[in-house]
Amino acid sequence: MDSSELYHVKQQFILGAYKTLVDLTLPDPSSPEYTPLLVYKARSHIALNDTQAVVQIVPADTENVALKAVAALARYVGATAAADKDAALEELRDLCVEIDSDDVEADEREKGYVRVLAGTAFARAGEVEEALETLGVSTNTENLEAVAIVVQVYLSINRPDLARKEFDRAKRWAEDDLLLQLIEASIGLVTGKDAYNDCNSFYTEQLGNPSLSSSHLLTARGVTRLLKGEVPAAKSDFEEAVSQQGGTPDAETLANMTVAAGLGTSKLAEAEQLWSQLASQHPEYPMVADVTAKEALFDELATKFVVPPLAVASA
Amino acid sequence: MSVMLTKFESKSNRVKVTGLAFHPTQPLLAASLHNGSVQLWNYRMGVLVDRFEEHEGPVRGVAIHPSRALLVTGGDDYKIKVWDIRPQNRRCLFTLHGHLDYVRTVQFHHEMPWILSASDDQTIRIWNSTSRNCIAILTGHSHYVMSAQFHPKEDLVVSASQDQTVRVWDISGLRKNTPNSAPGTFDTFDNFSTVKYVLEGHDRGVNYATFHPTLPLIVSAADDRQIKIWRMSETKAWEVDSCRGHFNNVSTALFHPKHELIVSCGEDKTVRVWDLTKRSAVQTFRRENDRFWVLAAHPELNLFAAGHDSGLIVFKLERERPAFAMHGDTVYYVRDKYVRAYDINTGSDIGLLSVRKFGSPYVPPRTLSYNPAERAVVLTISSDNGLFELTPLPKDAVGEVKDSSVDGKRGSGHSAIFVARNRFAVLNKTSQLIEVRDLSNSVVKTIKPPVQTNEIFYGGTASLILSSTSSVVLYDIQQQKNIAEITTPPVKYAIWSADGSLVALLSKHTITIANKNFSQHTLIHETIRIKSGAWDDSGVFIYSTLNHIKYCLAQGDHGVICTLDNPVYLTRVKGKTVHCLDRSARPRTITIDPTEYRFKLALLRNNHEEMLYIIRTSNLLGQSIIAYLQQKGFPEIALHFVQDKNTRFDLAIECGNLDVALETARAIDRPECWERLAQQALKQGAHKTVEKAYQQTKNFDRLSFLYLATGSIDKLSKMQKIADARGDPMSRFHNALYAGDVQGRISVLRDVGMYPLAYLTAKTNGLEDLAAEILEAAGLTEADVDDIPSYGTSTLKPPPVVTATTDLNWPSLSAGESFFDRALANGNLENGGEPSYVNGFDSAGVAASAALDDWARDEEVHEDLEAEEGAWDLDADGEEVQPGVEQEEELPEVEADLGAGAAPGVSEVELWVRNSPFAADHAAAGSFETAMQLLSRQFGVVNFALLKPYFLSTYRSSHAYLSTLPTLPPLQLHLRRNPSESSPSRVLPITVRTLQSVRSELSEGFRAVSGAKLPEAQAVFRSVLRTLLLVPVSSDNEAKEWRDLVTLTREYLLGVTLEIERRRVAQDEPDNVRRSLELAAYFTHCQLQPPHLQIALRSAIGVFAKANNHATAARFARRLLELNPDPKIVAQARQRIAAGDRNPRNAVDITYDEFTEFEICAASFTPIYKGSPTVRCPYTNAAFLPEFNGKLEPLTQLTEIGAPSSGLPAPRS
Repeated sequence: MDSSELYHVKQQFILGAYKTLVDLTLPDPSSPEYTPLLVYKARSHIALNDTQAVVQIVPADTENVALKAVAALARYVGATAAADKDAALEELRDLCVEIDSDDVEADEREKGYVRVLAGTAFARAGEVEEALETLGVSTNTENLEAVAIVVQVYLSINRPDLARKEFDRAKRWAEDDLLLQLIEASIGLVTGKDAYNDCNSFYTEQLGNPSLSSSHLLTARGVTRLLKGEVPAAKSDFEEAVSQQGGTPDAETLANMTVAAGLGTSKLAEAEQLWSQLASQHPEYPMVADVTAKEALFDELATKFVVPPLAVASA
Repeated sequence: MSVMLTKFESKSNRVKVTGLAFHPTQPLLAASLHNGSVQLWNYRMGVLVDRFEEHEGPVRGVAIHPSRALLVTGGDDYKIKVWDIRPQNRRCLFTLHGHLDYVRTVQFHHEMPWILSASDDQTIRIWNSTSRNCIAILTGHSHYVMSAQFHPKEDLVVSASQDQTVRVWDISGLRKNTPNSAPGTFDTFDNFSTVKYVLEGHDRGVNYATFHPTLPLIVSAADDRQIKIWRMSETKAWEVDSCRGHFNNVSTALFHPKHELIVSCGEDKTVRVWDLTKRSAVQTFRRENDRFWVLAAHPELNLFAAGHDSGLIVFKLERERPAFAMHGDTVYYVRDKYVRAYDINTGSDIGLLSVRKFGSPYVPPRTLSYNPAERAVVLTISSDNGLFELTPLPKDAVGEVKDSSVDGKRGSGHSAIFVARNRFAVLNKTSQLIEVRDLSNSVVKTIKPPVQTNEIFYGGTASLILSSTSSVVLYDIQQQKNIAEITTPPVKYAIWSADGSLVALLSKHTITIANKNFSQHTLIHETIRIKSGAWDDSGVFIYSTLNHIKYCLAQGDHGVICTLDNPVYLTRVKGKTVHCLDRSARPRTITIDPTEYRFKLALLRNNHEEMLYIIRTSNLLGQSIIAYLQQKGFPEIALHFVQDKNTRFDLAIECGNLDVALETARAIDRPECWERLAQQALKQGAHKTVEKAYQQTKNFDRLSFLYLATGSIDKLSKMQKIADARGDPMSRFHNALYAGDVQGRISVLRDVGMYPLAYLTAKTNGLEDLAAEILEAAGLTEADVDDIPSYGTSTLKPPPVVTATTDLNWPSLSAGESFFDRALANGNLENGGEPSYVNGFDSAGVAASAALDDWARDEEVHEDLEAEEGAWDLDADGEEVQPGVEQEEELPEVEADLGAGAAPGVSEVELWVRNSPFAADHAAAGSFETAMQLLSRQFGVVNFALLKPYFLSTYRSSHAYLSTLPTLPPLQLHLRRNPSESSPSRVLPITVRTLQSVRSELSEGFRAVSGAKLPEAQAVFRSVLRTLLLVPVSSDNEAKEWRDLVTLTREYLLGVTLEIERRRVAQDEPDNVRRSLELAAYFTHCQLQPPHLQIALRSAIGVFAKANNHATAARFARRLLELNPDPKIVAQARQRIAAGDRNPRNAVDITYDEFTEFEICAASFTPIYKGSPTVRCPYTNAAFLPEFNGKLEPLTQLTEIGAPSSGLPAPRS
């Protein structure tokens, strides 16, 4: 059983309250909780794309594999040059090998962190097989975070069937963990089983959770509402999320607001405005990249059709 | 066995209670005591209402009249007494003498003025309470008659006697004949009343016998420890069965007035409940020391009273509180062991599930928890040491209602509630364990609660509220720890507000209102038992006690809304309507006046508009609200309620509203008012008001001083004159002094004979002449006063006026100018007052705007939505869904072991492309290539550049993004058209553009046409036609609508283009009148809607008339008339027709033959008469001259004219 603080931190981390976590005060380095809390804090920084902060809080000379892994992940995410990225990935690969040997000084939990962090990096790099292997798919390591990433990977390659299988396996040992519910919800998001009611209820429930608040949950609930076809309700969730984010929406909220704005209305000006805001502020966001690619595709395809001259009266 | 639900208990100090009677309507109970006293208790409030003490010796029989305020008692003094029990008239009305031994029981007849009595003298007597005579004596029993009861409907009496018999007597003779009322002629009575049946079977004396309220049954209780049930027919009566179980004399046995139960009590110190049909014991309530002597049932309610050796108890057999839960506007509740759903809007009330086989058949379920996500209920029952049962409710309640035993899942537990969509928690009170179970009823988690827990409630997400004997704990299930704890008496019910931000925790006599993490809470005490509660939509908690409906605001203010005759269980409060369940679990509504609490709420939230609205629309007046406002520190608001001028004045002074104070002071016109006003006004510096007040009270001195202070010289001189007139020299002197009027001062001094002072004043002010005059008047000369030292010139004078304060009234206290003043002065609020009436949650702010927009839109588009949805029903074809599901389940079987080497699956967008023949769906899937091919094939589209924004926005709005895990790329989620359709062979993308959104765009175009903004209109129509290419249709109706829209838009586009061309011609080639006329004429042949066609015609009329083509103009005018235009336009048209008749010629010859049908070539703008060759636009079907074949269509600029096309594909069905 985790201590209350670690439990809380995990809960907030799972539910996307990264902003709260980066302000976390760490306990004394000798505390048994120190490493896990530091890992979560660092991961929150990474989640917010603030990889520089990780360098500052994780001691460079650490011998701890988990901390080394988190630093490597930060370098991977923060790197722009391909060579740097590869170096970070290599480092993670080495760490994975290291934890499999018997002589490393790390407890199971820390090993688990290494796998999860390495798996995250591999999945991000599109190395599906490597990610799955690292995360120990089909083996019985009871690491729910790893399961979550595996499920996500499966979902991203359109294999909800395998995702569900993995989830069902985890259900046997993971009791009623919050993360397990999140996994179930994300499967629901992709498959649309049960008309999206399950994932919608999950986020609605978590919104009522008295011990934390996170605008991510509002955005997520909004997305489930979008999926359920409740566009106005979704919009109001996004609006509220924006107001919780202090008026400047994050990429995710903005992206989904753009989606919602374009639905069912004839006034596209709002959608276009949101879109240009998203495209200029978050050019890295997958939706921007995707739509931009589609734009180029369109232009290319459109040229394949020969456009005859306009019919005009010769007189 | 279960605990008796005691409602009230009274001790009478070792004096046994031998007779009991309930009042039929009021919560009153009469008890006759062995010490000669008769007590009248209010059992609800627990107070002794009255006491009647005239009998000597024990009083055994007591009864209350079914409709009048009368009480009858019979005692060991052989007397029967009738009492008036109204508090103001309480007394013994009369005494009936006649019995020769103890009177055992007495009873009023339900409609005749008869009293029935049974006595140890072996007789039963019937008395007329009007004539106060005995009208019948029933003889035949050979021992004490222990009881006698009228039949509830028929003319029968049943009696029980120590002679071991029960007898039924026929008294119908009493009704038919007027009996001889002369005393002393008793022997004739036997003629009227005869023994009908003698029931033998008891082995000992019978203590009590009574009829069943509806069935032909009798129950008797005897010293042989048995209860016997007897049945009667017209001709005979026989013993049916016995109930054995009492191990001492049975004192009384009664039929339950509502249920098939018998209730009995005896000297074995027990009250027992029996099943009437099975004759088996159901429940036993034991008492330590007291033997029971008498039992009475309330005629209407589930309420019993039993008298024992040392007092009495009032009790219920079962909880009346129905198990219920609210979801939205539906109450799910249990009545007669059926789970029912009651919709409070429509009033529909349907049975969904039988729970007859759940727990003991005699015990109703205790609680119900509803899960909307799964549409399931979990019920608990207190029998069998606590059971719970989880059952799904049927989707639609058609046909037979199932019993929960079919697919219910059970277990033992005291309290069970849903804590999440797929979890419920069960409390086992004895083992003190809380189990969290999933929907298959397997335990997923076991919690040891941190406190002794008696009850659990939902505590918000992943939390429970645990109720212990001295506190409630908010407990986090996941984390297994206390979040917060509040000390309160044992909490029995928890009710969450609609938005989940507040919870009301009800105990027996307290309500705790807490926020969702228990960090803030208020406690409210009640003296009367609290029964239930519900949240009003505005955030006020409405609750019911035994006899009131009350409200309570979150900060703790509470008050009575209305009184109740009987307790109710509130389920929902909506505006003025309180929805509740009554004691028999029937839905009821009570209309309340929410004004008072709404007002208080508005006051707390500073919502002045609503307050004003309430003030205007309700008669919320009276001392209480004024006192409330004053006490809460809002005298200025209270002011607006008050009519009474004295109170108004007080309030106005208190809040410093001088205008109102002045006005009311005038009306009251009493000196003390003016004085108080003056004081208040002086404080505020409102000197004009002060002046007025001083004037009113004739306070001249102060007035003068005020004028001095304000520097009002004029007024001071007036004051001098007034003082003069009043003949008050002191005042004159003052005023003269204040005004700096030396002459005046001297003249006052002279007038009062103070010559020395006058002289000196004159002298020191350099008025030598005057001084001499004074001397003379005093009969003196200079020489007489030469001993007076000479003073310098006096410098005494009033201070100069720096600021002309006198003309300036100081600004009055700003509080005076409140919202209310403005509103009341204007007679209204800016926007008309009433519509601004809002009483929502404060937090609604942001979220509300989008929701409101949507609402407004909903109104407009309602019908279309229906049509669309209707069409979707066609798709919900069960058969085809099946294979899809199977397919999905098969997949893992085959590939489950692939593990890490998983190959990517089929993405949703590929399914979309596969499933749809519409370009829109392909575009949404991002498959632009196939989308273009489709458009090209279906509609001959070639110029795609124009469609780029439409493609991209469609694609963009079909995919949402959500990252569920940190640092990983977000999941791309695909928005489906029908969220409840997940089978891969049927999923389709969401409809980004709908026909209805296109229609609203089209109407924008119409507006532009009406406003003559032609280029705008042209752009809109073009955009509509482009958008329509990306609108998928899902039914034949929609397909038809789609085609109609295309055609309609094309006509408008053509018309607008013609008119643009005409205007260009008119401007660029002013000489080309002929072309201009032609174009105007063609414009009138576009198929426009009447209002727009009128525009086209009027424009044509104008152009033609100007060109002196009166004949054609007149024809246009005739066409115009057919459209029934405005009277004004009619007049103009008639003028044109007249002009055409006068002058039926055309000055300019044009190519226009209106009598032959023609189409207009959209490129050359020339007519193509019927039968001539044409080529067409493959999309809009616009006509063109053959020479334009293969060119780009000019209207939409999308298609190749004359290209082959397949048209709109058939919608999938």
